[in-house]
Amino acid sequence: MNEHPTGKVYLNENEDFSDRQSYGRRVVTPIRYSTDPRDMGWVRQNIPCQAACPADTNVPAYIQMILDERYGRSYELNRIANVLPGTLGRVCSRPCEDVCRHGWPGNGAPVNICHLKRVAADLKPSDHRITENLFTPSGKRIAIIGAGPGGIAAAHDLSMLGHDVTIFEREELAGGMLAYGIPAFRLPRDLLALELRNALRLGVELKVGAAVGSGEGEVPLSILMTDYDAVLMATGSMAATPLPLRDAASGEDLARNAPNVEYGLDFLMEYHRGVKKTVGKRVAVVGAGFTAFDCARVARRLGARKVTIHIRTTEEYIPVTKDEVLETRREDVKIMGLRTPVEVVTDDAGKMTGLRFVQNRLGGWRENGRREAIPIEGSDFEERCDTVLIAIGQKTVNDYLDVKVDTDRWDSVKIDDNFMTSVPGLFAAGDFVKGPTTVVEAVGHGREASLAMDTWLMGRERRKLVVKIEPVEEPIRNRSWDFIPPQEMPTEPVKGRFDHIEREAEHGYDQDAAHEEAKRCYLCHHKYEIDTDNCTYCRACIEVAPRNCIKLVDGVAIDEAGAYGELHEANEWDKVGAIWIDNNECIRCGACYLVCPTQCISITKNEIFLQNV
Amino acid sequence: MASVKHHVIIGNGVAGNRAAAVLRERRPKDRVTILSAGAFLLYDRYELPEVLNGRHDWRDYLVNPPAYYDDNAIAVRRRCLVTHVDTDRRLLMLGHREEVSYDTLLVASGGRSYLPVGLRESEKLFNYFNTYRAAMATFRSLTKGGTAILLGGDILGLDVARALVSSGRRVVLVPSVHTFSPHKVAADKRGAFFEALERIGIEVTEEEGVERVEEGKKGKLPRRVVLTNGRKIDGDVVMPFYGLVPAVEFMVGSGVDIERGLLVSPELNTTDNRIWAAGDVCQIWSEEDKAYRFYYGRRNVDAMGEVAARNMSGEHMAFKSTVDETLSLDKKGQIQTEFWERN
Repeated sequence: MNEHPTGKVYLNENEDFSDRQSYGRRVVTPIRYSTDPRDMGWVRQNIPCQAACPADTNVPAYIQMILDERYGRSYELNRIANVLPGTLGRVCSRPCEDVCRHGWPGNGAPVNICHLKRVAADLKPSDHRITENLFTPSGKRIAIIGAGPGGIAAAHDLSMLGHDVTIFEREELAGGMLAYGIPAFRLPRDLLALELRNALRLGVELKVGAAVGSGEGEVPLSILMTDYDAVLMATGSMAATPLPLRDAASGEDLARNAPNVEYGLDFLMEYHRGVKKTVGKRVAVVGAGFTAFDCARVARRLGARKVTIHIRTTEEYIPVTKDEVLETRREDVKIMGLRTPVEVVTDDAGKMTGLRFVQNRLGGWRENGRREAIPIEGSDFEERCDTVLIAIGQKTVNDYLDVKVDTDRWDSVKIDDNFMTSVPGLFAAGDFVKGPTTVVEAVGHGREASLAMDTWLMGRERRKLVVKIEPVEEPIRNRSWDFIPPQEMPTEPVKGRFDHIEREAEHGYDQDAAHEEAKRCYLCHHKYEIDTDNCTYCRACIEVAPRNCIKLVDGVAIDEAGAYGELHEANEWDKVGAIWIDNNECIRCGACYLVCPTQCISITKNEIFLQNV
Repeated sequence: MASVKHHVIIGNGVAGNRAAAVLRERRPKDRVTILSAGAFLLYDRYELPEVLNGRHDWRDYLVNPPAYYDDNAIAVRRRCLVTHVDTDRRLLMLGHREEVSYDTLLVASGGRSYLPVGLRESEKLFNYFNTYRAAMATFRSLTKGGTAILLGGDILGLDVARALVSSGRRVVLVPSVHTFSPHKVAADKRGAFFEALERIGIEVTEEEGVERVEEGKKGKLPRRVVLTNGRKIDGDVVMPFYGLVPAVEFMVGSGVDIERGLLVSPELNTTDNRIWAAGDVCQIWSEEDKAYRFYYGRRNVDAMGEVAARNMSGEHMAFKSTVDETLSLDKKGQIQTEFWERN
């Protein structure tokens, strides 16, 4: 590489261009780290999967590693953002897939990103060595309450930053909802145990059966506050939301006292604590989230013949992934929409015989982004069942607080932008402050909280986000890859699932399927740019573009955050100020790069990078 | 002068064609386009059992001669798969990346055969009878004296079963909760209807789930069905008839409300005031039942096409079912259903 007086660097100084018409040399800049808002904005706008991931996972980079069959490196790239890749590769709610560019209208179906995350974990070499970006010991002591995904993520990152971390967990096993809420047929316990062990191996002390509170044998929070430099509350949302029934007085929980009616969260927690659970032949599950679906699938494994999930809106608007819906259906569970339970029906002897519902219609949108269900007057109907499992939501429990902390109107603990409560040194993260969310959100929140705690403890920011920009020599993708259909997840035959109720239902991709699926990724972190100084405006790139992705513009707006905004397309030749690749439309096919006679199109890999300060 | 509007109809079945004819009549100057995923013009699926009696020329099944569409200026674009509907821009995205704009849209994409998820792994082993090609393929695989195993047995499947039996084929029915669907038959009445089926020569097995479907063993018939109680049934073809599932995938994400089908008012308007739906794809609000429900039967589907088209062109007409949904036995103990009536 030779440096040019302009500061630009030319790669391939001696490249033979005799096989193509060439007027210039491709301009490539060396690796650089940028805090320019335009670069940060580009990454946020153009890598939708990463922007949607609450843990900020560098999705295209780890998929590219799978494409290169470097599974260990792919696992490590995952692990930078979330310490439980194999776990999330099985149970993630996949907000990334909802926004994947391959799923945009006209582009086909989204990449199975989550399945590929699992590939990184499953196919990494057996002797793979985990790498950690360790800091020197800080001498600071931190207590974390709760060993769920949020607490574990925070514990890992804080210990990596050199702090001395102790986790207090009231249950006998770490994992929180991962261990007590999600059944083993979705998340094998040996894998979970391994990843938890790896997350805590940097010296985190895990105290199980150690409840924090004011009861007998419990450790008061106020004591932790004096014994440790900082305390993080990450106790999740571990109480079931009561089902409001028609004749219930305000605050009354009629469902809790009804015979053969149980809250789904309690049902799953007890089941995973080893309590022998039984269900009837006809089970009605009320709810639309992962807990409801897990309840239904566990009920089928416990011998229920007819299991129906009753949801208030419709399947299109439930937060559960399509794969989860499919596997649940495969196990012969019915999903019925547009209904709200209003009464538990009992016979004269007091035996529960069914549920009474009211028919709903869809209304507008609620604040949380979900659809409203509006009951239709006079539309009551009844469904027979002999067991009811209610899983309509979860809420936080903060009865263990013995220090005065500011709470909001829902009695949830309030935190500031740095995750700190109204009490200095007392932090909170995950579902405990956000309400019931997802595993990946808890992991992401725990990770963010750990950075904020570190800054507070050390009195300065020690890690910051930058954009790493690295030249790419040539397009990696092949246009024909855009037409590869999504690879199906191999699964256990239904009979096998019921014969061995803990056997994992999904088997994971093999190497071939993983490679095919990885090819489908557009690698959105690759940025194609036209060097307008060298462009002759021949339009060859526009001619070969498969989409309306290369535009003649008279200007590009800069948005409030300083990132590139709207393109102002020029309708007349004399107004053209530049030729611009609209990265929002670009599917990284490389056709423009290959056809350009002046080689004025360059490719860079753009990645968010947590840099040590 | 009113501007020329483009009425687009997704689906080339009974409802879609009826709507196209009504729109042409009521809006002679407007553009009417039918988008069809298949290659054929409208043909009579209800007559398909006739392939068993030697009627093999596809042209014999056409409802209208090809010239009809030219004469009536109805554009039929075949092999056009709609993949997405952009309701904000009023655009349809087609599988080959073309965009088609509309002023009003009728979704009449019908339903496809429902296959229980547990049987999807065996999909390649099944024969169908819902299209001309499928019926011909079944005819070729099932010679006289051969055995067809019918799974589920919805009412249209049982119609095929009757034709198979009367044309000299053996039919074994593995019943399920979908048998007689969309008719609803009380548990204590099912036995009488099963006996009626046996009287016309359909063999009815016990009500057991299907464990799996597999290739037949060497030297045996080409297909084998294994029931959950371990019983094995060998046959030449296996035909699933578990009712229909609305073809609405392309509408997901469009903002139009969907439960199982598109949710529509009695005027067949969806939650988007420029989009209507008709036929097996829609769930119509029933004030009487206080619920959204499906209405089946050729006469209903035809009526829905007409109602939708009238409302698309300015009327406010409500759909009313004219199909008697009861399943009964006559004095001779024979099954009576409007779904088996020919025109």
